[in-house]
Amino acid sequence: MSAPLIARKDFEDAVRSRMIWAVMAVFVFLMVVISAGAATNGLEDAEATEIISLVANVGGQLMIPILALLVGYMAIVGERQSGSLRVLFGLSHNRWDVFIGKLASRLGVIIIATVVACLVALGMVVALFDSFPAQELVAFSLLTVLLGMVFTSIAVAVSAMASSRMQAMAGAIGSYVVFTLVWHPMSAVIHYLVEGGLPGYNAPEWYFFLLRLNPLAAYTQVASELADQFIWGIVGWEGTVEDVPEETLQEPNALLLSERVSGDLPLYLHDWVAVPILLLWIAIPLGIGYWRFKRADLN
Amino acid sequence: MTAIETRGLTKRYGSETALEDLDLTVESGEVFGFLGPNGAGKTTTIDLLLDFIRPTEGSATVLGYDTQEEADAVRDRVGILPDGFDLWERSSGYRHLEFALDSKGVDGDPDALLDRVNLDRADAERPVGDYSKGMCQRLAMAMALAGEPELLILDEPSSGLDPHGIRTMQELIREAAARGTTVFFSSHILGQVSAVCDRVGILEAGELVTVDTIAGLRETAGVGSRLVVDVDDLPRATAIDLEPIDGVVDADTEGDHLRVAYTDPAAKARVLHRIVESGTNVCDFDVVEPTLDDLFAAFTGSDGSTRPVDTAGELEPTRAPDGPEPVISDGSGDPQITGQASDIAANGEGVDR
Repeated sequence: MSAPLIARKDFEDAVRSRMIWAVMAVFVFLMVVISAGAATNGLEDAEATEIISLVANVGGQLMIPILALLVGYMAIVGERQSGSLRVLFGLSHNRWDVFIGKLASRLGVIIIATVVACLVALGMVVALFDSFPAQELVAFSLLTVLLGMVFTSIAVAVSAMASSRMQAMAGAIGSYVVFTLVWHPMSAVIHYLVEGGLPGYNAPEWYFFLLRLNPLAAYTQVASELADQFIWGIVGWEGTVEDVPEETLQEPNALLLSERVSGDLPLYLHDWVAVPILLLWIAIPLGIGYWRFKRADLN
Repeated sequence: MTAIETRGLTKRYGSETALEDLDLTVESGEVFGFLGPNGAGKTTTIDLLLDFIRPTEGSATVLGYDTQEEADAVRDRVGILPDGFDLWERSSGYRHLEFALDSKGVDGDPDALLDRVNLDRADAERPVGDYSKGMCQRLAMAMALAGEPELLILDEPSSGLDPHGIRTMQELIREAAARGTTVFFSSHILGQVSAVCDRVGILEAGELVTVDTIAGLRETAGVGSRLVVDVDDLPRATAIDLEPIDGVVDADTEGDHLRVAYTDPAAKARVLHRIVESGTNVCDFDVVEPTLDDLFAAFTGSDGSTRPVDTAGELEPTRAPDGPEPVISDGSGDPQITGQASDIAANGEGVDR
């Protein structure tokens, strides 16, 4: 088992990278700005959970996925392209060691980054608000860390499958595009094909489950419930591909999952289901990535 | 025991064949040179031996272990210096060696490795991003030597090295061989292979053309080294009967030079001595080594010109037939008379430590 050696070495190199530190600094700075913005929004009744929706919006949907993809996409293909993978193999490491070592190191980087960001946000809550809804904030923080791990895993998996930097970059960007731009419209198309119309306000439960299989949607859905406030996706597809009443778009809290599904939520739409979904988004890409890497001709 | 054995090893990419039906045996303890122009399949072979890529057909063993089924066992016992690699530029040379020793699971002295490859200890404290190509090559060689591997696989080990670095590399190879390490190294430069190898395999366009000793190759191919002498009085020099001299096989004029083909390097001095003795002044002289091109031409029956220009361009520069300017000795070839002294000096000082 030489994966820990590779992980340690890779982590050292990552820590020495100025790029990572610069991105981290920007990230933390944004967290501070966002949190401060939430507190001084001029809203008399600003609630501490409001910080969740802001952090989820800018941090969770934009910064963390991009940071994670950036941190992960060169993990393996970079070594492959530069030829240093041959050096690693020459030093007795095998493909599993390289894959696991690289994954562990990059996950470490992103976990630290998201934990720091969440701690900053929590610190801002303590500093700026009177209340501290611990349960929601901790749950949200864990969810955010998990989301960072999902995108890192996807990036490392893509990196293991790609044979060039360009391919890895295309894969990383492509995955983000699929989750933000393709998934929701595609789900609406499926709904159209099955039900003969665009999804309405009270769309069938399977449609919401289909949306939730997207890790970003799973994240925002649960974050919305935790914040008790609807959080828009990067693109507000509800207004374009769904046939929902105009007024709900003005009062988006009506778009909360718990509002749109009448009666009790089925088991698979419970909040906690987002966790196994996110875990699957870690396990499945990694499984495919390693499977392909193991069989690949690495030259 | 055999260090490397391949049976029908073949690698195809779609319709393109990178390596065709390679049967090769490298005995334990020998220094084997794998010679061929760039793109001939040398790196493909090495990649197959290390399970970096998988064969389309055939199989191979390294130190008795199957390269696919027992790749881990192979890598544990092999040191590799790949062709064209980057190191981790933000880490120091020492960190690289530490990592190499840890990876091989041995307690070694990084300084001892540095000394073996002639790398400065102060340099080893700097990040590798500041290193020259030659320094990276030496550091990678030191990493390959970590844990005293039974087999060293070196892919174009002298690329990026200056003449001194090439000599150090050749010393390292000889020294490793003296310790009983098998060395398998590839090169596209005949002189570098002939300087250290017991046997040579010639690969061209994915096929093994021949395997033989250097002397055997020259004999079979009938291409020897040539001495080109620039004299002040050519007709007079031509009249000298040089052919009876020991080791000389042919004497002729080439343009306004005298050209003497020989098989024994010592014949050079005898020829020059003879010319001077006869009262002709030697203005300049020059040694022309048979190039890889010449060898290929002899073995494959082509004249070299039918080969693609880009491949030929990668070969050791061939001296233009009428170009009298001296070939600069890069320490890689059978040394010139002047070069010989420095070579002996280098050997005498010894890099053995």
